[in-house]
Amino acid sequence: MSERLDEAAVGRLAPGLALALPRGPHRGRVGEVRASSTGSSLELHDFRAYQPGDDLRQLDWNAVARTDELILRVRQDEVSPRVEVVLDGSRSMALSARKAACARELALLACEVGARQGLSPTLLATGVRSERVQGSACRAALRTLEFDAGDDLVTALGRLPPPRACGLRVVVSDFLFEADLSAMAARLSRGAAGFFLVQVLDAEDLAPSGGEGARLVDSESGAALEELLTEDVLAAYARRFEEHQRLLRAAALRSRGALLTAPATESLDALVRGALRPLFVAGGHA
Amino acid sequence: MSFGFPWGLLALGALVPLVAAYFLRRRQKPVVVSALFLWRTPRPRAEAGPRWERFTREASLLLEALAVIAAALYLADVRLGETARTKHLVLVVDGSLSMSARGPDGVTVLEQARREAAKRVEDEAATRVTVLATGLSPRVVAGPEAEPSRALAALESFEARGADHDPMPTLLWAQELASTGKHVAFFTDAAPMEGLVIPAPVRWTALGAARDNVALISAQRKDEGGTATVTLRVARFGPGPESVAVRLRALPGPDAKQGTERVEKVSLQGEGTATLRLTFQSAGDIEVSLPDDALPEDGHARLAVAPTRPLAVSLAQGMGSLERDALERFLGASPEVARDGASGEVLLIGPRGTDAKVTVGASGKSRTFVGPFFSEKGHPLLDDVQLAGVRWSAGENPPGRPLVTAGDAVLVSEEDDGRVHLNVDLSRSNVQRVSAWPVLLGNVVREARRAREGFVRRQLTLGEPLQLVTLPGKRYTLVGPGGSKPVFGAGAVSLPPPATPGRYVLERDDADTVDSAEVLALDARESDLRGRTSADVPAKESGEDEARANASDRARWPLVLLLLALLGDFYVTRRAS
Repeated sequence: MSERLDEAAVGRLAPGLALALPRGPHRGRVGEVRASSTGSSLELHDFRAYQPGDDLRQLDWNAVARTDELILRVRQDEVSPRVEVVLDGSRSMALSARKAACARELALLACEVGARQGLSPTLLATGVRSERVQGSACRAALRTLEFDAGDDLVTALGRLPPPRACGLRVVVSDFLFEADLSAMAARLSRGAAGFFLVQVLDAEDLAPSGGEGARLVDSESGAALEELLTEDVLAAYARRFEEHQRLLRAAALRSRGALLTAPATESLDALVRGALRPLFVAGGHA
Repeated sequence: MSFGFPWGLLALGALVPLVAAYFLRRRQKPVVVSALFLWRTPRPRAEAGPRWERFTREASLLLEALAVIAAALYLADVRLGETARTKHLVLVVDGSLSMSARGPDGVTVLEQARREAAKRVEDEAATRVTVLATGLSPRVVAGPEAEPSRALAALESFEARGADHDPMPTLLWAQELASTGKHVAFFTDAAPMEGLVIPAPVRWTALGAARDNVALISAQRKDEGGTATVTLRVARFGPGPESVAVRLRALPGPDAKQGTERVEKVSLQGEGTATLRLTFQSAGDIEVSLPDDALPEDGHARLAVAPTRPLAVSLAQGMGSLERDALERFLGASPEVARDGASGEVLLIGPRGTDAKVTVGASGKSRTFVGPFFSEKGHPLLDDVQLAGVRWSAGENPPGRPLVTAGDAVLVSEEDDGRVHLNVDLSRSNVQRVSAWPVLLGNVVREARRAREGFVRRQLTLGEPLQLVTLPGKRYTLVGPGGSKPVFGAGAVSLPPPATPGRYVLERDDADTVDSAEVLALDARESDLRGRTSADVPAKESGEDEARANASDRARWPLVLLLLALLGDFYVTRRAS
């Protein structure tokens, strides 16, 4: 298990994978995928009455002959969908080297698989200096990315440019912060035909070790808490964690998305075949 | 700020482990976590901010330290400003002469009492001190509730020269003055007598020691003509010397060029007492002294010139021969009586019907009585007058209040202005031949002598009341060793026994000096030092118990501060957890 960005592992996995695009119409540039907007493809989408300014070529003359009304054929547009990868740049993502590497690798894998799939990948990183890169620059950006933001993802989203319409949005974070999770999910899903919340968690996030007193320091705010890590305290943590996960999962579903929890302790291959299978489907353009 | 229980400040020692625990906890290893909120109970409202969290530990430490300080202040019974705790200690010092006795080390009992009192004030941490002196009349030496330094300074200048007395009235007074504090310390030179009920808050401390002593127990001087007769009574208390040398030093009188000094050896064998009578010619004040011993004060006496003041008695014209003879016979044997003196104060005795001070005789039809005679009991003119066996012939009733009656006849009467009438016909009576006659006339002379302005007696010992006579309508001042004070009342006035020996002068506003009297520091009971001892009888009712009982008197604000600090700490730590 690599502690750094394992580009080789990503390179090995990307050719055999494809992003699970949503079945509904997409938005984006003209391409191969039906869009939610009307356009000039051969797929008939609807009929409606002519309005001044409409393209006369789209009139259904047969219908005009039958009804003496100007009936316009509304055809569905064909777009080339985009994939947006939002990577949480807060300090908690670097709780351990493995957690940081796992987050980078997942973001890179999504970009690589999307690019191979013909989806224009865009990487949005919410570090102290928010970045928005596209295409092949995503790899370079992920190499140099620092998890240095002192605020959580919800706050950091305010520093990003407004979200654009896209086909798929993949948000990589640990989602371990106090916020209105439903509002966060709704905001992240805005303009996306489909989105996934990929939650990267460290082993200490999932099952913290106890046995002694410690001064717990929040990785982002620096707030401290004296605590004796007894069994009761750890059990209380587990209860609160489960409740948080339940709320997060519900918020994702409410926004027509999915929460995928990726333990950083697992290898990238195991994650793709296991927890992240709903996002990365087999059958890419190998 | 003062502390009722300074030991309570030891609770401040809890700050040491508190601060130590704070720094030890500060050194706990920091563990960085992704989300702190999962470690604590979720709160319905937003956090105050990370800055507050950062200082939670410090705020908690400060609040806990504040709680410790508040607890210490409460335990120490802190008082601020006017509510500062005043611990009142009442010191009672025996004011009797025996307190001036020297111990084997040469230190007087009074000096030991001063040291012990100062130590007691320091030990009790008294902030207010009252010093009382026992005596026939209790008196305040310092206070009430004086500054300790002032009270002890007053005690330094206090001299114990009083007569033997009962200290209980002073102790009861001290108990009242001590009120809730219940701290009374009594310093004396003898242990309490068996069965004596001491007031509960009084701690009885006896600092005396049994000593032998030779003392003057009485000293009298009488001047007649140019001769001064000094009568001394010397007593030995304990197995002391069998003889003692009495030194008498007569200062020169107005008619003498130089004084005289005599030393008389007095044997004290047998009962241990001896009487010495000496005469001096043209002597001024006479100083009597015994060799210094455990109580030197009772071996010294200064006897001022005490000329006799004979009472001038005059017999008025017109008196019958029988009456005159009977009166002459009495006056001839009566001491200190001058016949037909030039003094303005004359006891005039005359026949019935005159305005003499005393009338003797009967008028009208005489009746003879052999009894029963009825006398006004307790009247000074009738002291020891026994009329049994007397045949009394009386005439018409005289005016005034009846003093002796027989049937409906008034034999002796007294008018409001003091005139006395003896309704007696001596030609048919035997009154002048029985003892009742000189006794009755002696009482008349005595009362006339008592009515003279000035002191009744000029030489007194400790504990004797100061009796004097003042004239109506005049203002008098008594000047003594302790200062001067006005004398209220007219006629025979009996003042309380003086607290200190010395010369007392009676002054009248329109005349410089009326009379003087000498109070000698002599008291046989005080000179007997054989029963003096040291003892320490603790108080039955401790002031500390009272203080504990009055715990509700403690200031409440430290307790409130303690509770607020604990609540604040609970709030802060609850937020942090």
